[in-house]
Amino acid sequence: MEKSTIRLPLFSVSDFVAALNQSLEYAYPQVGIEGEVAEFKVNQGKFVFFTLKDASASVGCFMTVWQLRMPIEDGMKVVVTGIPKVTAWGKFSITVQAIRPSGQGNLKRSFELLKAKLAEEGLFVTDRKRILPRIPHSVGVISSTQAAGYADFMKLVNDRWGGIKINVAHVQVQGEGAADQIMRAIDYFNGSSMPPEVLVIIRGGGSADDLSVFNDELLVRAVAGSRIPTLTGIGHETDESLVDLVADVRAVTPSNAAQLLVPDRREIITELRHKQVSMISRVQAAMTTIQTETNRAMSDMYTLLVRRCDMLLAETTQARRLLVAFDPQTVLQKGYAMIRGHLAVGAAVEIETQYKLITAEVTYVKDK
Amino acid sequence: MSKTNKTIAEKMQELNSYVAWFDSDDFTIEQALDTYKKAQTLATEIETELQALKNDITVLKKKFDA
Repeated sequence: MEKSTIRLPLFSVSDFVAALNQSLEYAYPQVGIEGEVAEFKVNQGKFVFFTLKDASASVGCFMTVWQLRMPIEDGMKVVVTGIPKVTAWGKFSITVQAIRPSGQGNLKRSFELLKAKLAEEGLFVTDRKRILPRIPHSVGVISSTQAAGYADFMKLVNDRWGGIKINVAHVQVQGEGAADQIMRAIDYFNGSSMPPEVLVIIRGGGSADDLSVFNDELLVRAVAGSRIPTLTGIGHETDESLVDLVADVRAVTPSNAAQLLVPDRREIITELRHKQVSMISRVQAAMTTIQTETNRAMSDMYTLLVRRCDMLLAETTQARRLLVAFDPQTVLQKGYAMIRGHLAVGAAVEIETQYKLITAEVTYVKDK
Repeated sequence: MSKTNKTIAEKMQELNSYVAWFDSDDFTIEQALDTYKKAQTLATEIETELQALKNDITVLKKKFDA
């Protein structure tokens, strides 16, 4: 009996590797793998190599430095998205398309590393911050129009103010590709012939992983490089992203972003009414001042008049006293007598006392 | 003040200048009534416009996913 033989496919080495890659591509066009980073290194400032491992296996990974959107270091747990591939020299590796830290501790570590790097470059300094116009005429909003945070923001903006031209760029605000979409929207508004006066980036609350989009290095740099002043309203009050830190103005929530973007028309109407009351008060105060000054002038005049009258009265009394002192009757009352007539021997003279009139003859005259 | 094409911000600025006049050394009781009437008309105009203002919102058709 003739022994049956199975004809095995015969490949050249190159064909075999190509066929293997084709099979891999068919079976796993793209994979997501979670593991711990080891032997992380960057060659020539361009190529990133590291090993992704767990307790019982490891796999080599390759990517370009431009795909690295968040700092990665050895020991960090990450999720990579990539394409499995066998290289021409027979080494199996993952060509990484995206990598992000996994778990709150690793996200936090990556955040701190990038924060320190960007802080050193001066991206967060206060001097870079621009002031938003008090009442903008045009605003660009970058958000997901389906998100609750967007609805909160728009409702409050419409309640508070009107007359603003608002263009909304609907983008993904979490997950893979979100950072790129937001960056494209920033580029779109910045490249517009009629750019808005303010660019607002809105995203409601979410997990640390959801919000990690806003710690993407390229996105942070795009916000920092925006020629349009930026306002962010991302997450809740306790959330802090690097995009928040680099923005010109940071609101703690989407609702707070609406409050910082536009004034409240009800407050302005109240202010208008206060202004009117203050003007009336000013007129009343002026009238009171005039009245007070008039009353004071009248009072001063009366005081002067009384003083002048008193002086005249005193002068009159003094004159009267003098007149009384010089009255001849006063002298006669003191016992003196007045003599009238020619003082010559033999002449008759009249003598007047207080009570008598006497006629007498002069018998002797002598000079003293 | 007659109705003009001024923005609300410009009208607010004008109103503030009237209010400032009331607190300035230029204030005279003779001119106060006339200035107050102008300010009141302006304030009413601003209030009416504020209450009527609506935002013009456009969601861009452009896609940003690629």
